[in-house]
Order: sequence, then structure tokens, then C-alpha cells
Amino acid sequence: MSNSIISLKNVTMKFGGVTALNDVTFDVKQGEILGLIGPNGAGKTTVFNVITGVYQITSGAIDFDGKSLSGTKRYKITKRGIARTFQNIRLWGDMTALENVVTATDTHKKSGLLSGLFGMPISRKEEKRDKARAQELLDFIGIGEYADRLARNLPYGVQRRLEIARALGTNPKLVLLDEPAAGFNPSEKVELAATIRKIRDAGYTVLLIEHDMSLVMKVSDRVVVLDFGQKIADDVPNKVQNDPRVIEAYLGVPEDAS
Amino acid sequence: MINLRDKGADIWERSNRIERTFIALGFIALAASLPFFGGTFLNTPIADYESVLVYPIAMFVLMAIGLNIVIGKSGLLDLGYVAFFAIGAYTMGLLGTRTSLNTWEILPIGIAMAMFSGVILGVPALKLRGDYLAIITLGFGEIVRIVALNLGTLGRSEGILNIPTPPSVFGVEYSFDSHRIYYWTLLILILFAIWMVRRLSVRRAGRAWESIRQDEDAAELMGVPTFKYKVWAFVLGASVGGAAGVFYASKTLFIAPDNFTLQISILILACVVFGGMGNIWGVILGAVILGYLPDRIRFLSDARLLVFGLVLVIMMNLRPDGLLPRKKREKPLPKQVQ
Amino acid sequence: MFGNFLDQFWSLTFGGLSLGFIYILIALGYTMVYGVLRMINFANSEVFMVGTFATIIIIRDVFKFTQTSEYATGPRLWLILGTALIASMLVSGILSVLIELVAYRRLRRMNSGILAPLISAIGVSMVLAESMRIMTDSRPVASPRAMEKSFIGKFFDADIRLDNTIIIVAAIILLAILMAFVNKTRLGKAIRAVSMNGNAAKLMGINIDGVVSITFLVGGLMTGAAGFFYVLKYENSSFSIGFELGIAAFTAAILGGIGNIKGAFYGGLVLGLLETYASFFLGTQWKAVTVFVILVLVLYTRPNGLFGEAMTQSRA
Ligand SMILES: Nc1ncnc2c1ncn2[C@@H]1O[C@H](COP(=O)(O)OP(=O)(O)OP(=O)(O)O)[C@@H](O)[C@H]1O
Ligand SMILES: [Mg+2]
Repeated sequence: MSNSIISLKNVTMKFGGVTALNDVTFDVKQGEILGLIGPNGAGKTTVFNVITGVYQITSGAIDFDGKSLSGTKRYKITKRGIARTFQNIRLWGDMTALENVVTATDTHKKSGLLSGLFGMPISRKEEKRDKARAQELLDFIGIGEYADRLARNLPYGVQRRLEIARALGTNPKLVLLDEPAAGFNPSEKVELAATIRKIRDAGYTVLLIEHDMSLVMKVSDRVVVLDFGQKIADDVPNKVQNDPRVIEAYLGVPEDAS
Repeated sequence: MINLRDKGADIWERSNRIERTFIALGFIALAASLPFFGGTFLNTPIADYESVLVYPIAMFVLMAIGLNIVIGKSGLLDLGYVAFFAIGAYTMGLLGTRTSLNTWEILPIGIAMAMFSGVILGVPALKLRGDYLAIITLGFGEIVRIVALNLGTLGRSEGILNIPTPPSVFGVEYSFDSHRIYYWTLLILILFAIWMVRRLSVRRAGRAWESIRQDEDAAELMGVPTFKYKVWAFVLGASVGGAAGVFYASKTLFIAPDNFTLQISILILACVVFGGMGNIWGVILGAVILGYLPDRIRFLSDARLLVFGLVLVIMMNLRPDGLLPRKKREKPLPKQVQ
Repeated sequence: MFGNFLDQFWSLTFGGLSLGFIYILIALGYTMVYGVLRMINFANSEVFMVGTFATIIIIRDVFKFTQTSEYATGPRLWLILGTALIASMLVSGILSVLIELVAYRRLRRMNSGILAPLISAIGVSMVLAESMRIMTDSRPVASPRAMEKSFIGKFFDADIRLDNTIIIVAAIILLAILMAFVNKTRLGKAIRAVSMNGNAAKLMGINIDGVVSITFLVGGLMTGAAGFFYVLKYENSSFSIGFELGIAAFTAAILGGIGNIKGAFYGGLVLGLLETYASFFLGTQWKAVTVFVILVLVLYTRPNGLFGEAMTQSRA
């Protein structure tokens, strides 16, 4: 328990009549890759939304780094060390790839508007440092050559990777990836799996939503399964794969089990 | 048009520091010499060219640059920008006639008043979604005008008379009809505003605004304190409007609520959108055209606002991004930051 | 002052209610369009303005009333009122559809964001208001009185005026028809489907352009009816009336929560009453200020409007 970076305790999220999360409890351990899977509409994205403060949970508790997240403003949650990507890409299309990442690095800048206006040395220094850092991240994710292209003109796969680079730009402890491989072909998926491991090896903790079972099972240290807003399994990949409840949840949705 | 803009940007990007300084100085010199090339054909039926250059043109340019921070940079729809102009003007009117402060001393006070009201208005209003902001700001603009219309201290519908001209600086005299001097002073204010906007655009604040404009939720979730930067945009926009107001009052020497109607807000908004939101050169071009046009077509006398409305509709349908839209082109690939 | 207020409470209330229904009808022109397109239909105020003039023309030029004519009574009165109502509804409805075609449609196809259509709408408003200004010589136009504004009864101590009664009853009937249209007919359901989820509606094969046109038509019809009621109540109009009432009606729409019809209803009533009471205490010159202060307070404490969907929250 002591090494868990985030823990959800009995989290319930209701939207009017819909219960998107029902009494969900799990935690993510420092330095692991935790896969979060479940059929469509199971509540996976909702988990990300409640962690990042998009929605206030109906009941339960979420602790990050030993402290509660409740009532924390969204940008402060990010500042505390949680960053995410979006299932439906939400880059800033009219900015270049590099600017997208630099904007994320601004999270931790000390200089603000006035020091920028008057060209104070601290602002200049931070600008330079963060541009270099952003380029480093693009290179790290493998899209360094696209730095000066507008985000909306980038190929789809690059956009998905840029989302990850942007999330890393906020210098998080925990990265939430929402279906980063959606729409990828098998060889791109293999590459992405390697990237995700690389991210973990660089010291980040990863919570990964992914529909592709083989990808999840390959990269995850542990897998949590949601079905209709409830947690039905939480174990190492090969145990989860053989769990009768999980198999049942996926029955009738064969393409997800592939 | 598009090529012209890109070409300009290209030249700018390929130049080094010294060349850029020269280009900038050249443009400034050109702008500063405008009062000399008017000739008579640019005169409008109601006023001669030089005075039109001061108001509306230069004044509109200044306000449009200010409003562009709010609308063009951050995507916040402000329909009551005239309020800040009015607050600046009335600050000048009141203090100028009742105290011994002069225009230069009142200028910072007027700016501060405008910024302060920007905070008062912005803090509640900027929590709301865009369309709501539009209507709240519109209401604010009207409230300021109605207050001016009904408060005895502000002179009601007669307004404030006998506002002093600026005292001379470095031997330069501001007399009522020395339009050139006013124009050059406004030019300095405009240059200062441009400097401010350009400077901020390439730094953290500019990125924050840009990200807010494009996807506010994503911005917030990527750690941008969106509310704070929206308030900043609002307040900086207000400061420019306030400065314009102070100077306006000190130029016309007489202000009344009728000078601060919703029409002004809408005209300035139209300048920004017509010229090309977010692109400072577009905004300037828009303000020059829309400032000049209604006066120029006064020969249509009564129908000029009608024609103006038509121009807006047609323009928007043909070029919804304005005459000179914001930069959409990309830098060439090879250049890399390492 | 307060004793006076109590004395006049009911007559103020009736006046406020009839004003409220006028607001409701104009607010529908904003709210229905907003529901479908998520866009401020800025030109709706001028649709209202044109509606008031349509009414005046019917009364003055078609039925040849002058300031000194005798009041119409009996069936002839109802014929006149009915014609004027229908005429202003039709004129406004058609104008509203045309505005959408000219000012918005192309921009919507281009996905141009919210500002370009807004400027375009501002342009249309200027064209309409300015044409009217030129035609009326910048002067307000009085409508001859076609009916006697008799008192038809008493409520507590207040006299119930016929015109206010007609407005309230007719507006309720119109709203009932509108609700039936929206809830029961296929077209109405299509409008609601698009309001709830435009993309899903498109996928279900709903013709979005058609729905948009119908929405503008219905919004325009309601706004036109408001124009008629306005003239009935105040017996004048001017080229700038659209701006004055338009802002108030938009406020009403927001007050109730823009985008839903129920919101326009409650927002209009609340605003009509509050405005009438406030003018009594503060004088009419502060009317607009009161309206906006109320709006700001409501939005600050209940950002969704009094009855509306969440407006600050968004999904990620
Ligand atoms: N803002 C909301 N309002 C109402 N219902 C919502 C909202 N957000 C999510 N839901 C509902 O919550 C449930 C879970 O949705 P969620 O997006 O978390 O699923 P998911 O597991 O991410 O599915 P997918 O694999 O399709 O991405 C769904 O039934 C969805 O309709
Ligand atoms: Mg999802």
C-alpha cells in the first residue's frame, strides 16, 4: 500500500440516472504500468475524468501521493503530477507540435505574464530551457522531426504520439493514456508498446486504457477490468485473461477480445 | 492577400536583428509620415484627412489592438469593449475638469480604472461560457453608458465640457486643431500596444491564450491556469481601451454618453473580425478600413450604415477569417531547435 | 413609496405579465435557434422590429385606422387583430428564414466558428434597422388605436385591461400550440433531436438544413407575434425597438437557461415582472441596468440559468 501513487476508494460516479462508476476501488503502484480494460461504455474514460477533475465524484475518495484530490482545481491536479491524453485527440491544432508541448511545460514555470512582458532574465531562461525540453520529449516519443508542423496537419499516428509527448511535458508522476493505440496498425502497435515501456523506464507511472488485449497483456504489469462501471478483476495479465468473469464480460463482443 | 501576408512573414523570418530593426523603423517612419500624404482626395465630406486620421482611424486601430487581445488571442467574445473606452474618457473628463492633474498624469489613472473595472467585470463573467460572456459584456457596456446618462456628476446627457488638452511635452504643443501632434502621440500608444502584444504572444501568456482559444478544457487539463489568463487578457484589453478613452477625451475636449454607444463596441469588434482575428496586421488593416469607410461614404449620407452593414455581411460570407487571417502557414521543415 | 407599491401591486403585475409574455415569445427566437445551432441569433431583435411595423401597417394602412377613427368592436375587431397577428407572424417568420439563408447558412457549411456568423448577423441587423430608420425618418411611429382599452374586470383592487388580457391569453395559446408542435409532430421531434445531439441526429438521417430552416421559421413566427402584442400594448414602434427589446428578451432566455423552451418561459415571466416592479421604484431610466444586474447575479449564483442545463461544465 505504501508504494501506491494513486488510490481510488469506493468511487462512484453518477450522471443523472446512469451510474458510470459503481464503488470502484483500486490503486496504481509507483513505477508500474497498470492496464485498465473493459467493454465499450464500461467507465474507463470516466475513471480518467474523475481523476483529472473533469467530474466531481458522487461518493468515494481519490488520493494521489498520499493526499486527497477532492476539490482540487483541474490545472492544479496537473501541477501535482497527473497528466492525460484524450481518447478523441484534443491537441491545439493551430499550434506547432513543439508549441503544444512547450505549453504543457508552462505548468511548472515560475515566470508569469509580467516577467514575460518585461523580458526578465528568468522568463528568458525558462523559455530556452523548456523549448529544449519539449524538443527532447518529441525526440523521446519518436516524432522529433515534426516539431515545427502545425498539429492539425500531422498524420493521425503522429498526433496520437504528440498527445503523449504533451502529457509528459507537464512533467507528471502519473501518466494516463486513453487508448493511445486506437486506429494503429499492428506494427505501429508494437512500436507503441515499446514506447510505453520506455516511458515507464524513464520513471513515470502509467495507467493505460486500451482495447487491444494482446497489447495490454504484453505491456501491463497488472490489469484492472471494469464492466458496467464495476471492477470485476484486478490481477496480473495471465490470471486476468483466464478469469471466467472477464471472459463472460467480453463474450458477444468478439472483436474486443481479439 | 494570403500570399502577401506569407511573403511578409517570410522576409521577416529570414532577416536578422539589424535588418528587422530597419524594417520596423521603415514602417514606423511610413506610418508617421501619413499626415503628409493625404492630399485632398482622401478628405472625407465631414472632416479633413488629418483629423480623420486621428479619429476614427488611429483611435480605432488602438482599440482594435486592445480588443484583439481579448477576442483574437483568447477567443473571448467581448461585446462591451466601449465600456473601458468610456471609463478612460470619463476619468479624464472628471479629473481633468475638477483637479489640477493633466492628461499625462491622468493617463495612468484612467488605465488603472479601466483595468480595475476589467477585473470587476471579468472575475464573475469569465467563469461563464463564451456566449454568456458576450451578453454580460454587452450589458456592462450599456450599464456604463446609462450610468453616465443618469448621474449628475457625470453631466447626464450633456456630458462633460471643457476638458483640457494635454500640456506640452518637450516643447510640443497640443492645441485643438494640431491633428498631426495627436496622431503622432496616438502612434506612440499604438506602437506600445503592438510591442506588448507581440512580446506576450511568443511567451507563456500567448501560448496560454492560444490554447484557451483552441480548446479550453484541454488547456485546463494540461495545467494552464485558464481563468487567470482569461482575466489577464480581459484586463490588458481594458487597459488599452482605457488609454484610448483618456486620450480621446483630451482630444475632443467634450464627451457625452452618446459617444459611447454599443455601436462603438460593435464597430471595433467588426474591425477585429473583418481584418483578421488574431493577426495584428489584419486587425490594423480592418480598423483603418472600417474607421475610414463610414466617413468616406458619407456621400451616401443617410444610407452609410446600411451600406456598412451590407459590407459586413458580404465580407463575412466571402472571407470568414477576415482580410488577413491569422498565420496558418508552417515554418519550413529542416530548421530545427536543438 | 412602498404603500403605493402595494396599492398598485396587481395592476403592475398584470402589466408585468403581459410584458413577460412578449419577452417569452422573442426569447423563443433566440432560444430555439440556440438549441439547434448553439449560436446567438443576433438578428432576431430586428425580426421583432419588423414584426411591429407589419402590425402597424395592417392597422394603419390596410384597415385605414387613424388617430381619430372610432374603435372597432365585435367581430370586426377580432378580424383586425387576427389579421395583424397573422401578418406580423408571417412577415417575421419568413424574414427569419431568409436571414438564416443569407447570413448564416454559408458560414455554417464552412464551419467557421462562432464569430463570423455573429458579425454577419450584426451586419444584417444594421441593414434592417438602418433601412427602417431611413424609411421612418429616424422617428418613432405611432400606431392608431384600433380597440378600446377597456377594463373587463377587477382582480383585488386592480382593473384588468383588455389588451393585457388578450396578450396573455393569446400568448398562452400560441405557446400551447408550440409545445404540441415540438412534442407531438415529426418535425418538432426532429428539432428536439438536433438540439440534443446534432451529430447523432445527422446520423439518423435527419435533414439538418431543413430542421434549421424550420427552427428559424418557428422562432420568427413567435417573435413576430411578440411584435404584434407589443404594438397592441404600447401603440408605437421605432427602428431602434429591436435593440431595446431584443437585449431584454435575450436576457430572459439566458435567465431561464438558453437552449430550452421552458427556460424562455420562466425567464420571460421573471424578467417581465422584475422589470416592471423595478421601474416602479427606480424609474424607467434604470430599467436596463436592473435587468443586467439581475442577469449577472443569476449567472453568478446559478451559472446554468435558473432552469437550464449546465453551461459552465463541459465534457472532456
Ligand atoms: N458526461 C456524461 N454524461 C452522461 N453520461 C456519461 C457522461 N460521461 C460518460 N457517461 C456514461 O458513462 C458510461 C461510461 O462511459 P465511458 O466513456 O467512461 O466508457 P469507456 O469505458 O471509456 O468506453 P469506450 O471504450 O467506448 O471509450 C457510458 O454509459 C456513458 O454514456
Ligand atoms: Mg473511453
